[in-house]
Amino acid sequence: MAAELTSTRLNAENHLLLDQSLLRLPHELARRNFKSFQRLVERERELVLPGLKEAANASMSNSRAPDQAIAALDAMISRMQGMKRKMENLHQEEKSIHEQSRKRIQHLESLQQIPSLADVKYDQWSRVRLNRLIVDHMLRSGYLESARQLAHEKGIEGLVDLNVFVQCQRIADSLRHGETKDALQWCGENKAALKKSQYNLEFELRLQQYIELIRSGDRKKYVDAMMHAKKYLAPYIETQSADIHRAAGLLAFPQDTKAEPYKSLYSLERWNRLSELFIRTHHELLSLSSRPLLHIALSAGLSALKTPSCHSAYTSSSSNSLSTTTSVCPICSTELNELARNMPYAHHTKSYVESDPIVLPNGRIYGQQRLIELSKNVGCVDSGKVKDPTTGEIYDKSEMKKVYIM
Amino acid sequence: MELVQKEHERLVKKTKAAQGLKSVQHSIDLLQNARDAIAADPSQASIILAKLQNPVKASFDSINDSLKETHSGLNKYSKALDKLFKDRPLPSMEHDLLSSQEHLINRAIAMHLLREGQFSVAATFLSEMAEKKAAENKQANTANATENAASLLDIDEVPSGEVRKQFATMYYILHELKENNNLLPAIQWARDNDEALAARGSNLEFELCRLQFVWLFHGAHDQQGPTPAGRQAALAYARREFHGFLPRYLREVQQLMGAMAFCPNLQDSPYRSIFNNPSAWSDVAHSFTREFCSLLGLSADSPLYIAATAGAIALPTLLKLQTIMKAKRTEWTTENELPVEIPLPPSYLFHSIFVCPVSKEQTTDENPPMMMPCGHVIAEESLKRLCKGSRFKCPYCPSESHPREARKVFL
Repeated sequence: MAAELTSTRLNAENHLLLDQSLLRLPHELARRNFKSFQRLVERERELVLPGLKEAANASMSNSRAPDQAIAALDAMISRMQGMKRKMENLHQEEKSIHEQSRKRIQHLESLQQIPSLADVKYDQWSRVRLNRLIVDHMLRSGYLESARQLAHEKGIEGLVDLNVFVQCQRIADSLRHGETKDALQWCGENKAALKKSQYNLEFELRLQQYIELIRSGDRKKYVDAMMHAKKYLAPYIETQSADIHRAAGLLAFPQDTKAEPYKSLYSLERWNRLSELFIRTHHELLSLSSRPLLHIALSAGLSALKTPSCHSAYTSSSSNSLSTTTSVCPICSTELNELARNMPYAHHTKSYVESDPIVLPNGRIYGQQRLIELSKNVGCVDSGKVKDPTTGEIYDKSEMKKVYIM
Repeated sequence: MELVQKEHERLVKKTKAAQGLKSVQHSIDLLQNARDAIAADPSQASIILAKLQNPVKASFDSINDSLKETHSGLNKYSKALDKLFKDRPLPSMEHDLLSSQEHLINRAIAMHLLREGQFSVAATFLSEMAEKKAAENKQANTANATENAASLLDIDEVPSGEVRKQFATMYYILHELKENNNLLPAIQWARDNDEALAARGSNLEFELCRLQFVWLFHGAHDQQGPTPAGRQAALAYARREFHGFLPRYLREVQQLMGAMAFCPNLQDSPYRSIFNNPSAWSDVAHSFTREFCSLLGLSADSPLYIAATAGAIALPTLLKLQTIMKAKRTEWTTENELPVEIPLPPSYLFHSIFVCPVSKEQTTDENPPMMMPCGHVIAEESLKRLCKGSRFKCPYCPSESHPREARKVFL
């Protein structure tokens, strides 16, 4: 067997390709959490310190009675207590994020200890990864309950991000139902990060609100629409000028217009596009891949395993379900066969056959040792005869002919 | 990886929200004290308030300081992550062949869940899929309500009830076998399918019966080791069941019977390995799974698992390829063969592979392997190119032959 054809060496660092979001996502969450912490402190500081100063000045100039100072202090105390409560919540969240990251780092670290792909431990690790990939796929496709159950049964809740996807799905659903509130709130929470986004989610949402105001055709609403445009759309004039001009033009067209691009602006299909845009933006922000990880792994894996025999019209002699000496190839198995049909097959530069190939009169090639062994087990074959396990034909041993494969 | 771990530890250490909370509590205490003091002595109000300014400010500053430290910790951790994942962007294939075949992926997942014995998850998954499909249909076309109901029942896309039932049977048998050491359901299954198993050349039924014999010999449920009663039961079982095996497994049955003579001292007898094989049960369970799946035309290991693992192994190579291909403006998924060889462990090779030694191409249905009378094999296209319609010399040995004499072979 050619040395370069197979390898069981495990390069752990390279192997982490599929696992980036495992660490990236909690890190983004930790950063977001930190930002809200910072904002909270900043806001309270700006309120409490000047307030305190003012109270001191007021009491100095004696313009206010002491009980007014007490009232001011009371207000500040309750503010501070509110702030403390919020800080405690954020702190709890932060702790759980860090704990999660720690566990995930440990999980990835355990891969470093595994020397070879043939190791039993690698097998276990890879099974955990497969379950993770399946949960990821389920979450992205919106099968939340299945994802939750699978994660629970396999005990990998710490390695998947259920809540993140549940929230994402909820907002995407609300957009599909024609509501912008949740999505806009999300935009508000992630304002700073959205500035770096390559998508214009917030602008598109505001534009949709504008369209909805005009859709009714009610002249009175047009004033609201124009106000809305001035307030929310105008700030984007530098980058989105074409869209804004089109939006202005929309005022002149009724809802059932056939003129493009206004027809597509009025289209209800736009809500679905918004929902997709939201999901893309959301994944971009949290460093999640835009395609489910399972798809990435499968498309690589199917190709690496596929051979021209997998979709051949002839049954392969070396891998079929007809005898105990061969095992069914995963690509030939019902689950993946159709899926792999259009994938490219793996490239090989050397033949890979059993070391003692012989050919039977029907043209089928087998390893001689294996064939004789099998014929013995099958029982109903006389000694001196061999049975072709694929076709069931019985031949004399002398009919086996040596074949040379280079 | 080590770096990431270290930075994360440092980050956790640096995160001092607890300290921030203490500072806030401190401010609250300060304010509270001031309030009480003013309430007790209103004339001192302005002095107390003036005194309050700096300590409160200081406690806010200390919160900010602790935040700054957290911030630097976060940044360092970011850098460590970036370093770990540097040059390892996820592949962004524009030719995404799989996304359009979502239902096939879902089917593969459902079958994987069934195969792993997670029937409740599989059931939830199937019902959620049906729900989603119904919702989509409703949205897409509210008018054709009757048609939708029909397409819902379309079981082409999801594993049919038959497959589900088969896997449930398999898990029942395996459960009995592993947990209760009860081989009878497995033996029954093997008898029901004995024709198919015999055609495969499988020893499963005999292996199961032999294990049953050993199990009876060791005292059935209490497993106290060989007792006279156990021996009796085993012999009775052998008399009842083994005669059918005699033509094929005469030697093995004789072995079992011969072992009876060594009954008091099996440990030191040559039959030790048959009677004290610790992995016997898991071996039998494994071969049972294999046979069961093979009769269904499925591979013994979950294909989804093998494919995903192979994918993870192949990805680094493919990614490297992608960066090179991008420079040349081609995509690997557009070809029908991968442009590079991907080294996989030997257990991931299932089919024999024939690469024509002349053209260096893999043979396909359109270009099958052909064997010349001398026993050398080349691809059909190479053969045609070499012979040009008349007799030609084999490229590997001196013998000459006519292309008519070459025969198609199957690997």
